[in-house]
Amino acid sequence: MELPVLNETSQSEGGCSAGSCGSTDDQLSHLSDDIRDKVQNHPCYSEDAHHYFARMHVAVAPACNIQCHYCNRKYDCANESRPGVVSELLSPEQAVKKTMAVAANIPQMTVLGIAGPGDPLANPERTFATFQALSEQAPDIKLCVSTNGLALPAAVEELSKHNIDHVTITINTLDAEIGAKIYPWVFWNNRRIKGKKGAQILIDQQQKGLEMLVEKGILVKVNSVMIPGVNDKHLAEVSKVVKAKGAFLHNVMPLIAEAEHGTFYGVMGQRGPSNDELQTLQDECSGDMNMMRHCRQCRADAVGMLGEDRGDEFTLDKIEDMEIDYQAAMEKRKVIHQAIEAEMNEKRAASEQSQQQALAAPKLNTRPVLMAVATSGQNVINMHFGHAKEFLVYEASPDGVRFISHRKTELYCSGDDTCGDAETALQRNIRTLEGCEVVLCSKIGYEPWEQLEQAGIQPNGEHAMENIEDAVMAVYREMAENGKLEESNDDQRISA
Amino acid sequence: MALKIIESCVNCYACEPLCPSDAIYEAKPHFLIDAKKCSECDGDYTDPQCASICPIEGAILDALNVPLNPPGSLTGIPPEKMAEAMAELQSH
Ligand code: SF4
Ligand code: SF4
Repeated sequence: MELPVLNETSQSEGGCSAGSCGSTDDQLSHLSDDIRDKVQNHPCYSEDAHHYFARMHVAVAPACNIQCHYCNRKYDCANESRPGVVSELLSPEQAVKKTMAVAANIPQMTVLGIAGPGDPLANPERTFATFQALSEQAPDIKLCVSTNGLALPAAVEELSKHNIDHVTITINTLDAEIGAKIYPWVFWNNRRIKGKKGAQILIDQQQKGLEMLVEKGILVKVNSVMIPGVNDKHLAEVSKVVKAKGAFLHNVMPLIAEAEHGTFYGVMGQRGPSNDELQTLQDECSGDMNMMRHCRQCRADAVGMLGEDRGDEFTLDKIEDMEIDYQAAMEKRKVIHQAIEAEMNEKRAASEQSQQQALAAPKLNTRPVLMAVATSGQNVINMHFGHAKEFLVYEASPDGVRFISHRKTELYCSGDDTCGDAETALQRNIRTLEGCEVVLCSKIGYEPWEQLEQAGIQPNGEHAMENIEDAVMAVYREMAENGKLEESNDDQRISA
Repeated sequence: MALKIIESCVNCYACEPLCPSDAIYEAKPHFLIDAKKCSECDGDYTDPQCASICPIEGAILDALNVPLNPPGSLTGIPPEKMAEAMAELQSH
């Protein structure tokens, strides 16, 4: 059955791009219109859109063809999921059904990705069967795929036949010496190949795959895992090379290594980067190319928006009974997408205007400040401090506001009597806000308020339901007026 | 002569499509090798395919019950380090 594509609208007027943060280096403005069209409403690529649109992953690809030292194959691929997670494996038919059920129920869902639980391209039949069916039956859903790159060159031709507009390659190094410290083996030409030799094969295939995709006009995003003492010094170089070859985004993620995950790095005591180290490297790389700071390493079967996971609503037995009229759903989705786009455009225009106003105001010469924000989307401050599963960290400076990163928390207040461990969890959450001077939320309890203040972080509930960038800038100006920000000399600035 | 898959298999499907003898099949609780069909890849490949891609140490045994991928051989984690870390975790 041929279904019309109902969701091909996408406006891209010069200057009105997805860089929502009033930041100096507008995140997407350097991209060509063509690429901007593709990424503007993509929750993983556009920092703006990830407040409005949702993505989902389906776990159809269990096998892998390499071993990474941050991964334990008893769990899902750690490139795309957080370590220690196990997804429910789906057949391609089940994955298609689940995708359409989610799309019909969560119209904000615009992107379907296959990212694991192994390597999608090490399972070409299952992966391509899923893509094929979705391209035919749900043409308004964008498809994406993530890979370690080993099997990529062989898959490019097939990929270009489906409705796939972007591919993510995890590239941790260009140097086989370093590679041997990350990848103990690869399976190649019917043999397990260990050490430097194996790493070299992987590196060659990744680079070749990247070049072939760019040649075909398929968008390529590169992910790197930052491993202190292993590849941290080398990633700025990786960033430069992949950009030169045509990758349009580079996303540096922190290594997560715990002994309980049973990974090589976890057991051997390899540490992950601090928030500071990560940010410094992301800043270093962003001089070279657009960084995707808002990536949140979602699970291989994640469903939802902004760090939320509604996967439980769409388990196999639940979707089994759902009757889906996708043609009707597509009509409904189209209307909702248009409304969201209109809202996004309105907010972009408003934010541009407030930036203009900010520029007209006397220019500050104060040091930059990091602020954490509790939000559940829509680009407004609308989360209770104690309910936030993550905080968005923004930097305010005289040049404006820019998004820096996500920081995940543990929920310390679940609202019932499981709060016994409250103290420690709250303390841990406060530690994840290290480096921030202000935290903006819709509401906050007395206890956390006190403890935050003690930790030197100013809680602020005065800007509930306000636009994030505007509120951050307002608080920043207030701090400046109250003489809380000493003047900065340029080399002390966080941002360039 | 035949290889066999034991309970530490994590059902990752990686071995199944590689077998030249169609000896591997999905089963509960884990994948199995049909001993009558398995040729140990003799005549087809230098290395037994299932044991060359299997990511789990100890999941595939030879006819003498010796693991083709002994502890530490795939992850690079020295077995005593692993034991230490696990003991540490248990004590918490
Ligand atoms: S050793 Fe070869 S023939 Fe035997 S099960 Fe493994 S892959 Fe198949
Ligand atoms: S490759 Fe190993 S873990 Fe995976 S299904 Fe085969 S025997 Fe099981």
